[in-house]
Amino acid sequence: MTNKILTILLVTLVCASAAAGQDDIFQTGVKYYQESNYDDAIRMFSKIEKSGIESAALYYNLGNAYFKSGDLGRAVLYYHRAKRLGPGDADIINNLKFASQFSKVQMVGVQLNPIEAFLKDTVGSYQLSALGWLFSLFFIIFIILLIMKYGLQFRFTGIDAVIISILCLTIFAAGLTSFKYRVDYLDRRAVILAPEAPVYSGPSSNSELELRGAPGLVVELLRESGDYYHVLLENKRRGWIKKDLVAEI
Amino acid sequence: MKLLRPGILFICVFALFAIGSETTAKVSDIEIVVSLNRDTIGLEEQVILQITVNSSEQNLPAPRLPTLPMFKVYSQGRSSNISITNGVVSATLTYRYIFTPQRAGTFPIENISIVHKNKRFTGNSVELTVLNQGVATPKKLEGSARDSRGNSRDYFLEAAVDKKNPYVGQQVTLTLKFYIAVQNYGSPELSEPTMTGFWSEVIGNKPVYFQRINNRRYKVSERKYALFPTQTGELTIGRAMISATIATRRNTRDPYSMFGNVFGRGKDITVRSDPVTVNVKSLPTKKKPKNFTGTVGKFSITASADKRKVEVNQPVTVLFKITGVGNIKSVAEPAMPDLADFRIYRASSSENTSRVNDKLGGTKIYEEVFIPGRPGEMTIPSISYNYFDPESRKYKTIKTRPIKISVIKPEGYVAAPQSPFQSNNMSIDNEARDIRYIKTDLGDTQPIGQVLIFRPIYIAVNSLPLAILAGLIVIRKRREKLQANVGYARSRSALRMARKRLSKARKLSNSETVVDFYAELNSALVSYMADKLNISPHGLTTDKVRELLSEREASEELIADIINVIQQCDYARYAPSTIEQEDIDESLKTVEKVMVGIEGVKFD
Repeated sequence: MTNKILTILLVTLVCASAAAGQDDIFQTGVKYYQESNYDDAIRMFSKIEKSGIESAALYYNLGNAYFKSGDLGRAVLYYHRAKRLGPGDADIINNLKFASQFSKVQMVGVQLNPIEAFLKDTVGSYQLSALGWLFSLFFIIFIILLIMKYGLQFRFTGIDAVIISILCLTIFAAGLTSFKYRVDYLDRRAVILAPEAPVYSGPSSNSELELRGAPGLVVELLRESGDYYHVLLENKRRGWIKKDLVAEI
Repeated sequence: MKLLRPGILFICVFALFAIGSETTAKVSDIEIVVSLNRDTIGLEEQVILQITVNSSEQNLPAPRLPTLPMFKVYSQGRSSNISITNGVVSATLTYRYIFTPQRAGTFPIENISIVHKNKRFTGNSVELTVLNQGVATPKKLEGSARDSRGNSRDYFLEAAVDKKNPYVGQQVTLTLKFYIAVQNYGSPELSEPTMTGFWSEVIGNKPVYFQRINNRRYKVSERKYALFPTQTGELTIGRAMISATIATRRNTRDPYSMFGNVFGRGKDITVRSDPVTVNVKSLPTKKKPKNFTGTVGKFSITASADKRKVEVNQPVTVLFKITGVGNIKSVAEPAMPDLADFRIYRASSSENTSRVNDKLGGTKIYEEVFIPGRPGEMTIPSISYNYFDPESRKYKTIKTRPIKISVIKPEGYVAAPQSPFQSNNMSIDNEARDIRYIKTDLGDTQPIGQVLIFRPIYIAVNSLPLAILAGLIVIRKRREKLQANVGYARSRSALRMARKRLSKARKLSNSETVVDFYAELNSALVSYMADKLNISPHGLTTDKVRELLSEREASEELIADIINVIQQCDYARYAPSTIEQEDIDESLKTVEKVMVGIEGVKFD
């Protein structure tokens, strides 16, 4: 028993010191950034990322440091990653918007599905975890009501109406959560990093050139074939781009 | 009116904007903009006059039109749009009129006015030329409406820009016009052209109108884009594509041909526009101001402070408002001078875009926070801002007015050496003029790719109430069964009761309490069997036991053991002196063994 307690204490101590270590590295990165030493700031922030830890602030700072060092593609990439973890953060939204303006290729988006556009707007500023907990809240209230009605035989006037209403809210929250999960994790998107990124009509450089992509342009990955991704552009045109020219968000 | 009934719409929801080359007349806070959708028409054509009234007042009278005997004028209604920006209400009322010419000539349309609070507000004048022919169609358009063999086309797509040689950053308006002279089903789908080298924004779609070309009546759908070249040289706007389904021609010999267009099968068509090339000029290097940030257009600048009297180290927020025509999103922040008495940092920026006569413009507001470092009368100096005006082809400088601030000493003020601004969560990035500050707090961290909904804690939180519900339902069902079925209830509690009795018997298992021991042992066994069989323990004779257990396919050995034990209990109760301690222990074991055996027998 004593051994077990000691082991738990040791593990807790190791975890806590690791977290403290990451924070020190982060602060060093911030210091480098404030001294305009962006390459070293990137090195420090990337160290945390390589250790398998992520946070909205970490990705945001990486985006800023890359922007300052002139790497627009990676700046946009990290702002998008930051936005996934902190979708309501005004700084992230502002900087992503600002940086995106510098991309040499600007697409005019064509919205084909208004329902999807509405849902994206609705869930856009919420974190997946916030929606997940919202679903849990309604689900637990729903189960508590069922426990009251069927488990404890505690009934009051209108309990059925309340149960149905909460069930509807639970289904709605579940729908939003799964849609958000799809948008954040199942829909694969990538950012062009390379300065020269030709988009072809087929998975080969011999195919017809559709567009000259530029760093910072976001594409949706549809499928892959050999060294190429089949991508969907914001204006709903499709093309093929070499895998090593983009990075997945 | 009938002609202008909406037929084809593009896939988006459209805003209404007019085209034309007119100027804006602004008097006080009521602005009247008059525009025509075409400046030259034929006698058989119509033109739409649009009057846009921008004002902070919402209840304005309708504009008065001058007497125009050379036109028949029909009102096409009014639309309004009210918006609140920075707490200021602004209303935009749009009036539309259809003009049908009665004779040829060039006619100015002027003095369109509104009288409000005894003041007269007049809009700009426009000029309309009516040609002495049926339709006024440019030769190029007539050519586009014919194919290579000279036949009239049923449909075609035209792309055109208003400027072929713009400056970098200057607005180029791209107009896509889809002409169709046959009936079409559904909404045509548009694939936007690629606009590499441009920053682009959709201005909107015009309501569908009709135009006569080569004696054919075409329905015209029009969409406009504001493009701002971001690089110099020859830039190409790609082909736009429209996919639509058109009605196939009717077979006149078909007796049901009258339904042909309604129920007939359509034909899918695709039409592409020609690419458009624009030659973008670089901005002149001559007389280029030092701190020029690349802003192109026509702008004005104002500065306003939220307070004029503050304590030392208390912030004063100054709004720098840059308003005008141009790519408002790319308007850079005014350069702040180094001021010894103030620490300055950028708080936020916002923009409000607007479109007037297809020109993109609006207001960009930069919010700068000035923190005075010492008491006294101070001045935020005039801030200058440079832009390039493509119309006059000159760089221009605009300036704000200086702002005077009284800085007072707070109680207990002690002058301190200046230190960079720090707060708990963020530091101000002095270098960044564009992007916002970095974060100094790592915030909530998580393993990369971890998703809440798959975390064990989340699954546990959601499963626990479900498990409680399932448990409660099982308990309730069991209780109901016990209440409804006495036999089942007795059977379920039989073993528990028997164990109690056996335990009691075990306490009596010595030679001094032989009678009590065997009485308890007998009671334990008989009651147990009675409960299991759901019969009364009274009258449960050895014969009855044999009969009932045989019916339930109990083994002969088990039946024999039970009967032996019952007989031994009877015998011991009547002749206790013959019982040894060994017999007592043996009996106890046999009963336990028998009970285990009975548990294996199937009872209903």
